[in-house]
Amino acid sequence: MAGILVKARFPRRRLVQIVIANLFRYLFRGAARNWARNISSTAPALGSMALLLVLLGLVGLTGIALYNLDQVESGQASILHVYISDGADPAGVAALRERLSSDPRIASIGYTSKAEALQRAQSIPGLPELAGASDSNPFPASFDVQVKKIDDVAAIDAMVRNDIAVDALYPTSYDRGAYQRIQTVIFGLGVAGFAFLSLLGFVAVTVTINSIRAAIIARRDEVLIMQLVGAPRWMVRGPFVVEGAITGALAGGLAGLVTFGLAAAGIEAAAGSFNQFAPGITITVAAIVSLVVFGVGLGLGSGSSLISIRRHLES
Amino acid sequence: MRPIVEFTRVTREYGSRIALDDVCLRLEPGELTFLVGPSGAGKTTLLKLINREIRPTSGEVWVDGIPAHRLKTHRVSDLRRRVGVVFQDFKLLPRLTTIENVALALQVGDLRISDGEAMDRALDALEAVGLGDRGKAFPHQLSGGQQQRVAVARAVVAQPPLLIADEPTGNLDLDTAWEMMDLFRDIAAWGTSVLIATHNVEIVTRLQRRVVTLVQGRLVRDQPAGAIGRMAWLASS
Repeated sequence: MAGILVKARFPRRRLVQIVIANLFRYLFRGAARNWARNISSTAPALGSMALLLVLLGLVGLTGIALYNLDQVESGQASILHVYISDGADPAGVAALRERLSSDPRIASIGYTSKAEALQRAQSIPGLPELAGASDSNPFPASFDVQVKKIDDVAAIDAMVRNDIAVDALYPTSYDRGAYQRIQTVIFGLGVAGFAFLSLLGFVAVTVTINSIRAAIIARRDEVLIMQLVGAPRWMVRGPFVVEGAITGALAGGLAGLVTFGLAAAGIEAAAGSFNQFAPGITITVAAIVSLVVFGVGLGLGSGSSLISIRRHLES
Repeated sequence: MRPIVEFTRVTREYGSRIALDDVCLRLEPGELTFLVGPSGAGKTTLLKLINREIRPTSGEVWVDGIPAHRLKTHRVSDLRRRVGVVFQDFKLLPRLTTIENVALALQVGDLRISDGEAMDRALDALEAVGLGDRGKAFPHQLSGGQQQRVAVARAVVAQPPLLIADEPTGNLDLDTAWEMMDLFRDIAAWGTSVLIATHNVEIVTRLQRRVVTLVQGRLVRDQPAGAIGRMAWLASS
């Protein structure tokens, strides 16, 4: 009699479920339970990390605003407005334009008539009153010269300021050193912000390392027993890394919410008075910065734990 | 047959102090061996070398074919799953029940073991040590002898080829100590090699099993099973 071979399917799905359940239990459930149990020793790390991350978020938003400001200023600084005298001879004006056009340092030349200058001035807060104070149009026509390299603005200014078609009293928009001053301020703020964040980061990492160290010491017997019954290294270390990650994620989440809340409040408050809260800072940018703050918190918490484990948990 | 433990000219130093000095030793599968010697003779050091808690300063330590003397840290768990360990102070996790303590040793070694299977096997091990009805008790609810039995169940639940015990009767009264020895005899009879470090002269002399004697780090006597040797020094140590 011929037999029938029945091949039972290997219960791979069941096996995967079991492995995942065990992984979850040993890595995450145990870590969450221990984290809650050790909240008193974790609280200082949570607090200092949250403070650091809030400051990181605010410094990040400030950095973005300064970067955008720098871009705007850089763009504006490379445009030289050459103001044309009201009584200038059209031939002289044409000759000036010709001189500028033939200069290889210049990218492009625009022209703003007196009427356009007045119209533009009326859209700037405060200037409509000034424009209305006189019967005649006080704003001059100008050539708007886009310079290829910002360093050449001074040379172009020197070249045109004595031209007969140029206003003798107020020849150009060139303000020697204005752009450099802004850049110096931005650089100084960047260095100060970096130093401040580095110091705070060091404090937060140190506090977190110590809190994990305290957790390791408190559970020394448990760790020893796990090692002696043959628990692999990841199973002994993992829960501590997850504990650090929980601390980092909570601090990051809290700091992200505070950062987003402050930015949103600023944007909301500025909406009534100004065009924007700070250059380039929108709700989307604030949300992205908040997410980055959360990610940094997660990384900082797990990383600090790993450092602590390497120092204090080697068998 | 390959020995379950093999020490070849093993020396272990702690700074300038020599804890083990040029020790050679073989343990065969299924053998019950006593490791005796005065305090500071090197018994615990020898057990720690087997379990790769420490490395030898020189020489080779092989455990079930694994070179413990040059085993990388990340591979130590592989070795420890082949060695059941029983301590004088039991080392049970106080937050886990008896059965969970035993099941832990199974699941940390193999994540593919489900809760149900781990609990079933842990219960079998507890029944084998006479504690099948105390699975839900926490360690602090058990007597010292019962806690030691749980530790033995945990050590053997994964059916390791070797069981080492460091003064397992040190915290027990004599009757309970004898019960523990019966248990170790049964475990050896099932095929697991058992190495017991002890000071208990009465047990060592009455059981008439192989006795390895260490004095000041040197293996001074290796007495085969059945031979009754003089151990007057042991009584006074």
